[in-house]
Amino acid sequence: MIRRTLKLAWFKRNRYALTVVAIALSVAFIVSTLLLTTSIADVGEPLGRGYQGVDIVVTGPEVAAGDGPVQAISAPVPAQVVARLEASGFIAAGFADPYAQVLNADGTAGGQDQAASNIAEPWLGDSPLNAFAIESGRAPTRDEVAIDRATARSAGLDIGDSVTFVTEAGVRDAMLVGVATFGGSDNDPYTSTILLPADDRLLTGASGFRRVLVAAGDQVPTSAAIETLAPDMVVETGAAWVLAEEDALNDFLGFFSTFLTVFAVVAVVVGMVIVTNTFTVSLSQRTQELALLRLVGTTRRQLLVQVVLEAVLLGAAGTAAGILLGLGGVSALGWFLDVLGLVIERSDAISLSAISVGVAVGLGVTVIAAVRPAWKATEVAPIEALRASDAELADAGGRRRTIAGLLLAVGLGCLAWGVLQADILFTGIAIGAIFLALYLGADSLVRATARLTRRLLGAAGPTGTIASRNLEKNAGRTSAAASALMIGISLIGFFTLMAATIGQFIAGDAGDALRADLVVQGIGSRPDPTLSESVLGAIEGVPGVDVLVPLYQTSVSPADGAEINQVGPGGGGLGTAMTDVQALARVYDFTVNAGALDAIGGERIAVDQATADAFDLAVGDGLDVTSLAGPVRLEVGTIIETSLPGSPQPAIIGDLALADTLGYDGPASAAFVLGSPSATAINDAIGIPTVEVVSRDAYLDGLSSNLDTILALVYALLAVAVIVALIGIANTVSLAISERVAEIAATRAAGASSRQIFWSLLAEFSLLGVVGVVSGLVFAWVSAAAFFNTLSGGQIAQPETDITTGLLIVAAGLGGAIAASWVPARSAATTDILDVLRAD
Amino acid sequence: MDETAQIGRGQSATGSGGTVARLVNATKTFGTGDAAVTALDNATIDFRRGEFTAVMGPSGSGKSTLMYCQSGLDQLSSGQAFIGDVDVSTLSDQELSIMRRSTLGFIFQSFHLVPALNARENITLPVDLDSNAEVDADFLDELATVLGIEHRLENLPSQLSGGQRQRVAVARAMVPRPDVIFADEPTGALDSKTSGELLAYLRTAVDDLGQTIVMVTHDAVAASHCDRVVYVQDGRLVDEAQHPTVDDVLNKILELS
Repeated sequence: MIRRTLKLAWFKRNRYALTVVAIALSVAFIVSTLLLTTSIADVGEPLGRGYQGVDIVVTGPEVAAGDGPVQAISAPVPAQVVARLEASGFIAAGFADPYAQVLNADGTAGGQDQAASNIAEPWLGDSPLNAFAIESGRAPTRDEVAIDRATARSAGLDIGDSVTFVTEAGVRDAMLVGVATFGGSDNDPYTSTILLPADDRLLTGASGFRRVLVAAGDQVPTSAAIETLAPDMVVETGAAWVLAEEDALNDFLGFFSTFLTVFAVVAVVVGMVIVTNTFTVSLSQRTQELALLRLVGTTRRQLLVQVVLEAVLLGAAGTAAGILLGLGGVSALGWFLDVLGLVIERSDAISLSAISVGVAVGLGVTVIAAVRPAWKATEVAPIEALRASDAELADAGGRRRTIAGLLLAVGLGCLAWGVLQADILFTGIAIGAIFLALYLGADSLVRATARLTRRLLGAAGPTGTIASRNLEKNAGRTSAAASALMIGISLIGFFTLMAATIGQFIAGDAGDALRADLVVQGIGSRPDPTLSESVLGAIEGVPGVDVLVPLYQTSVSPADGAEINQVGPGGGGLGTAMTDVQALARVYDFTVNAGALDAIGGERIAVDQATADAFDLAVGDGLDVTSLAGPVRLEVGTIIETSLPGSPQPAIIGDLALADTLGYDGPASAAFVLGSPSATAINDAIGIPTVEVVSRDAYLDGLSSNLDTILALVYALLAVAVIVALIGIANTVSLAISERVAEIAATRAAGASSRQIFWSLLAEFSLLGVVGVVSGLVFAWVSAAAFFNTLSGGQIAQPETDITTGLLIVAAGLGGAIAASWVPARSAATTDILDVLRAD
Repeated sequence: MDETAQIGRGQSATGSGGTVARLVNATKTFGTGDAAVTALDNATIDFRRGEFTAVMGPSGSGKSTLMYCQSGLDQLSSGQAFIGDVDVSTLSDQELSIMRRSTLGFIFQSFHLVPALNARENITLPVDLDSNAEVDADFLDELATVLGIEHRLENLPSQLSGGQRQRVAVARAMVPRPDVIFADEPTGALDSKTSGELLAYLRTAVDDLGQTIVMVTHDAVAASHCDRVVYVQDGRLVDEAQHPTVDDVLNKILELS
C-alpha cells in the first residue's frame, strides 16, 4: 500500500510541488515565529540571577499606570529611607536611575535606542545587592566608569578609552576602567548601564529614588520592620519584585509574541485552504482512476487510506522543508526586527517544542485538509470508471450558499446592533460572521464576476467566452484561491486603515493647529533624554528664535478611578502638560469651547473636550487626582476642543506653577520653536546628540512612528500569507490547466493561436485575483469602519482612507495574481497539440 | 487583433495542377539512435482539389503521422509538406494557427469539442477566432440542417449524443470553407448507423460543395465512400486505388497485413 502510494505520489509530483511549497512556507513561518518567541521569553532570566542577593525592594506608590509606550509613574522613595534602613543594620542601596547615555566613537548616540533605557547606577562592589560583576578591568573610582558588556561592544569601547556620555546635567567624559556583566549576561535586559562610583552626584537622588534594594545583613528581614522604616512605600520581597519586573518585560513581549503567532496562524489557515483546494481538484480529476481501483476490488476504506497516506507524504515533505526554512527564517525575522529598530532582545536557544509544533501543524493541517475531499472522492461508484471522463463535480454550492447567506444576514444584523449600541462584542461577531460568509460564498462571488465580465471578455472573441464560461463553471473549485487571497488582502487592508486612523487620531486636528516652525525633543530613549535648563538656555540664545515654549509632562490619575476610554495608546493616566500657556498660544491655535485661556493658572487647568465628556466636567468643576505630590484638587478653568498633539495627547494643560503643585521637578520633554533659525544652528548650540531638532511635520510624523514600525512588521508578516495565497493561485491555475489540456488542444486545432490561449487563461485567473483583492478590501473597509464606529461611540464615522494606499494594495494583489498565473498559462498555451490528440 | 498571414481567408490554397496539399520526400523519425522509429519513409503524395481520399494501413503504418505532418500539426524530419504552394515548415506558430482556422478543417475520433462552448459556438469557433472574419449565417444554417443538428445548436457538448457531437465537429470543420479537411478516424467512436450517415454527409460535401477531404481510417466501409484510397505500410505509400469497393479494400488490407 505505502509503496503504491509513494509511486502514485511521485507520478503526480509536479501537481503537488506547489502545494508542498505552500505547506513549507506555512510551517516555516510558524516555526520561526515560535523559535523567536521562545528565545524572547528567556530574556528576563538574568534578572533573577542578578538580584538573587536582594531580600526586599522598596518602591514608591504608583501615581499612574503605564500602558504601551507610556511609562508608569511612581512617587519617589525619599532619600532618608536608605539612611534609616542602614542605621537599622540593613544593607540598602537607592537607585534613582538617572538618564545617562553613552556616545559612540563618532559622536552619535550609543547604548540602547527606542523605548529601552539608558541609565547610570552605582557600583556597589561586593555588596549582595550588586547585580553586576566586573568581567574585565576593575571597579570605577572618581572620574572613571564601568559599562555593561553589551554597551561596550555596540559602542566599540575598550578599557582605557575615554567615554563620553550624556546626562541631564550635560555631557561628561570619564575613563572606561571596567566592563561588567549583569547576572551573568551581557546586560540588564533592555538597559544600557553606566556604573559610577556610588558617591557620584548624578546618583544622589535629590528628589528620592525609584527603588531601594535591601539585603537583610544581620537582621531578620521582616516586611513589617521595613514598612515601619519606609512608611507609605510599597514593600515587597526581592523574588516578588523580580517576578513583577519579568512580567512587565513579558507583557510587552507577550503582546509581541501573540502578535507574531496570530500572523503565523493566518499563514497556516491560508496554507490549509490551499491544501484542501489541491486535494479537491486533484481527486476530482482522478475520479476515473479511483473508480477503476474500486472496479478491481479496492474497498472504500483502502482508497481512503491511500489518499490520506498521500496527504501524509505531502505534509511530511512540506514540513521537513518548512522546518529547515524556519531555522533560517528566525534569523531573517530577527534581522528584520533590527532593521525596523524594534529592540527585541533574544537568546540563541533553539526550542525543540517549536519544532514539534511545526511538525504537528504541517502534518496535521495537510491530513485534516485532505480528509473531506478524500471522503467525497471515494464515494465514487465503480461504474464511473466506464463512463466518459467529463464527469462534473457534484455541485455542493447550494448548501454553502444558504449558509453563507444566513451568516451574512446574521453578520449585518449584529453589525447594525454593535455600531448603534457601541457594543464591541456584537461588532466582533459581525466581523467574524461576514468574513465566514465571504469565505463560504467566494464561489458565488466568482460566478457573479464571471457573469459580469462575460460581455467584456466575449468581446475579445471566443477564447474570452471560454475564459468566462470556465471561470463560472469551475468556481466551486477555483474560488478557494480567491478566498486565500482575500484573507491576506483583507488583513493588510484592515491594518492599513487602522494605522492611518489611529495616526490621524494622534496627530490629526491637533497637528493641524500646531504652528511651531521647529520642535526640539529627546531621541526617545528612557528615561527621556530631556531638555535641561541649560539646553533650553542654549536654544534661547540662538539668533532668530522668536518664541521658545518648553513643555513639561507628567501624568496624574483620576481619584475616582474612572475608566478612560480612548482609541490608541495611552490609557494609564491623564497625561498632563505644563507650560507657559500664553507663549503656547502663539505656537498652537487653541479652539476654546468654554471658559478662557486666561483662566489657566495654578490649580486651574484646561482639559480637552473628550476628557471633559469622559468625566462630565464643566468650567468651574473640581477634578480630584493623585499626583507625584499626593492627592490634589484641580479646577477646570477652560475646555478646549483638542489638546496638543502627542502620543497620547495630554488630557490636561496647566501653567508652569502646576508643576510644583503636582510634584514634578523634572526637565522639559519637548520645546516648540517659532522663528527662522535653521535646525543645524540650534543643534550646534545644544551640542548634545541625544537631543534632536525637527521640523513641525517631522515631529507630527514621529508621533505615530511606533505605529509605522508595527505596521511595517504587519506588512512583512502578512506578505508571507499573501505569498502563500499567490502560490495557491499558481497552484489552482496549474491544476485547472492540467484538467483542460484536451479543451486547449481542441481550441488550438480549430485555429486559436497560442497567444489567444495565453490571454484567455490569464484573463480567467486574473479575475480570480480581482475577486480576492476586491472582496478583501471591501471587507477590510467595512470591518474597520464598524470597529472604529463602535469603539469611538460614533465619533469616528469612517476609517481614515487613503486612496493611493488602496490602489497600491490592489496593484500589488492583482500584479501578484497575474504573475502567479503567468507561467502556468504560458506553458499551457505552448503545449504541443499533438501530445493531446495522440493520447486518444 | 489584426492578424495577417501568408494564407488568408478566401484565398485559394490550391497549388499547381489542382493540388491542395502535397508531401514531397516526407520522412519523419521519432527518437534517436537504436530507439529511432521511422514513421514516414520518404513519402510523396498529392491531394487534389475536390477529391475524397482515404489513407489506410495497419496500426503503426504511419497513416496518422502522414496526416499530422501534412496538416502542419507535426514537423517533418526531412522533406516538405505543402498546403497549396506554402511549405508549412516555414510557418510560425501564429501563421500555422491562422492557417488552421481558415484554410484547414479537422475532425477527430474523439470529437474534441470545447466543453465550455455550446454547439453553435463550437461550430463558429474557427471563424470567431479571427477578428476580421464573419460567420456566413446562411451557410451555418444550411450545414446544421443538412447535418440534422439545427435544434441542438444551443446545447453544450455534454448534452449531445456521440453522433451529434461528431456532426458538430464536422460543421466546425466545414464552416470556414477550408481548402482541405483532415479527418482522423472520424467514425471510430460511432455506431455503424451513425457512421454511415456521417460518411454519406462527407460524400455530399465533396460532391455538392467541392470540398477536399483527407480521411485516415482503418474501416473498409468508410474507405469505400472515397474517390481514392491510399495504402500506407511502414511509412511508405505502397499502393492506391480509385473508387474501390469494400471487398477491394478488405483484400488489399489482408494482403498488406
